[in-house]
Amino acid sequence: MNRPETILKAQDIHKSYGTLEVLKGISLEARKHDVISILGSSGSGKSTFLRCLNFLETPTSGKVTVHGEEVLVKNGKPQNARHIAEIRSRLGMVFQQFNLWTHRTVLENVMEGPIQVKRQTKAEARDKSEALLARVGLEDRMDMYPSQLSGGQQQRVAIARALAMEPDAILFDEPTSALDPELVGEVLKVMKSLAAEGRTMIVVTHEMGFAREVSSEVVFLHNGRIAEQGPPEEMFTNPKTEVFERFIAKVM
Amino acid sequence: MFELFAYGDTGWGDEILRGLAITIQLAIVTLPVGLFLGFLVAFASMSKLRALRMVGFGYTTIMRGLPEILTLFVVYNGVGLLLNMAVRWWNPEADAIDFSPFAAGVVALGMVFGAFAAEVLRGAFNSLDTGQSEAGRAIGMTPTQVFRRIQLPQMWRFALPGLGNLWINMLKDTALVSIIALNDLMRMTKVAVGVTKQPFTFYLVACLIYWAMCVLSELVLARMERRANRGIRRV
Repeated sequence: MNRPETILKAQDIHKSYGTLEVLKGISLEARKHDVISILGSSGSGKSTFLRCLNFLETPTSGKVTVHGEEVLVKNGKPQNARHIAEIRSRLGMVFQQFNLWTHRTVLENVMEGPIQVKRQTKAEARDKSEALLARVGLEDRMDMYPSQLSGGQQQRVAIARALAMEPDAILFDEPTSALDPELVGEVLKVMKSLAAEGRTMIVVTHEMGFAREVSSEVVFLHNGRIAEQGPPEEMFTNPKTEVFERFIAKVM
Repeated sequence: MFELFAYGDTGWGDEILRGLAITIQLAIVTLPVGLFLGFLVAFASMSKLRALRMVGFGYTTIMRGLPEILTLFVVYNGVGLLLNMAVRWWNPEADAIDFSPFAAGVVALGMVFGAFAAEVLRGAFNSLDTGQSEAGRAIGMTPTQVFRRIQLPQMWRFALPGLGNLWINMLKDTALVSIIALNDLMRMTKVAVGVTKQPFTFYLVACLIYWAMCVLSELVLARMERRANRGIRRV
């Protein structure tokens, strides 16, 4: 069987802050159309790992390759600022706190990447951004500022902003953790539709329902290591490790 | 009384207006110089390199500790001297260059403005939400783009009140330049007082003009602040 191409590969990622080792050697491979959910209790290193994938945090050691291109690290930073910027432009990221640019309108937030990074014309970027905002159900909020939107709406704009770059994969860092419970659904719905159209996604989440129903693979981190990994149905019905069993007992 | 301010040979109106023009020119030319210097010093103070940090903080400490008028004298006399020494060393036959009072004013006021602005800008930079620039980096912006498109526009919100203060201070400090014989508003007023022996009238008019400039500045600043704060929810 022909397996889809590998988009992102992390090998033996370590990350330490001073003497504290947060990640103790994590490897992960994302192929096209994969939806990988990363679970773990707080402090397990799951967000740090995700941020290592696009070098918002620089791994202390280990290797990250995107489409076979390795990101070289020198003096604790990506060696080539232009190269890492180019790689990041192919990996979308959605943050827990949305991080929409407060001084720009919703539409401007989505247009910014295509214009500044992909050098598209304003007209082209506008057409595409409007379509994306319509897709996440916010066509009537385009000229508002992020602060005028609810958390769920802001996160949907953030997803549109990531999509506007036409990324090869999207990283989600606890996208629903900062939301009021009644707003979680609207964001998950958008994420599910992305998974359904075959987008490659790596999602750090506490949403067990999403991990179980939507993802193709679940990775459970414990104390900076992968404790268990596999297809969701199998893992949730038949956990192999005691730590994961205890984890699901606690959160479900 | 109004004939005192007549425009032309009989009154002082034209002299004072010309003085006002010089005052405004001086302030407007000094502003970008001071801001530029302020950014340089602020970045030096935030540098990872210890030596550069020391230069930045050293500059701020020294400039803030000197009376403006002393800085002006040092610049006017010292820099002119140095400039000429440098030129002679390069070409002994060169004519002496005139370091004009206007240039000295721009340099001295700019240096003072820069030192204070550096602290305002450093504070503004440190107030920025790191998530905002992270979102820029994550989308593939280069550090320069992140600075220009995100950090700089968001800095104004925190920096404008402080910079506004510095601008108004500098606008008034331009009066010091009258001491090194620049024909600014202050000096023209003094000349008029000397000739007409009507200190109260002329000083009062100068007061009103300076005050009007400050009020006008405040109005413009308020507008700029409203713009810098767009998109920010007031709580």
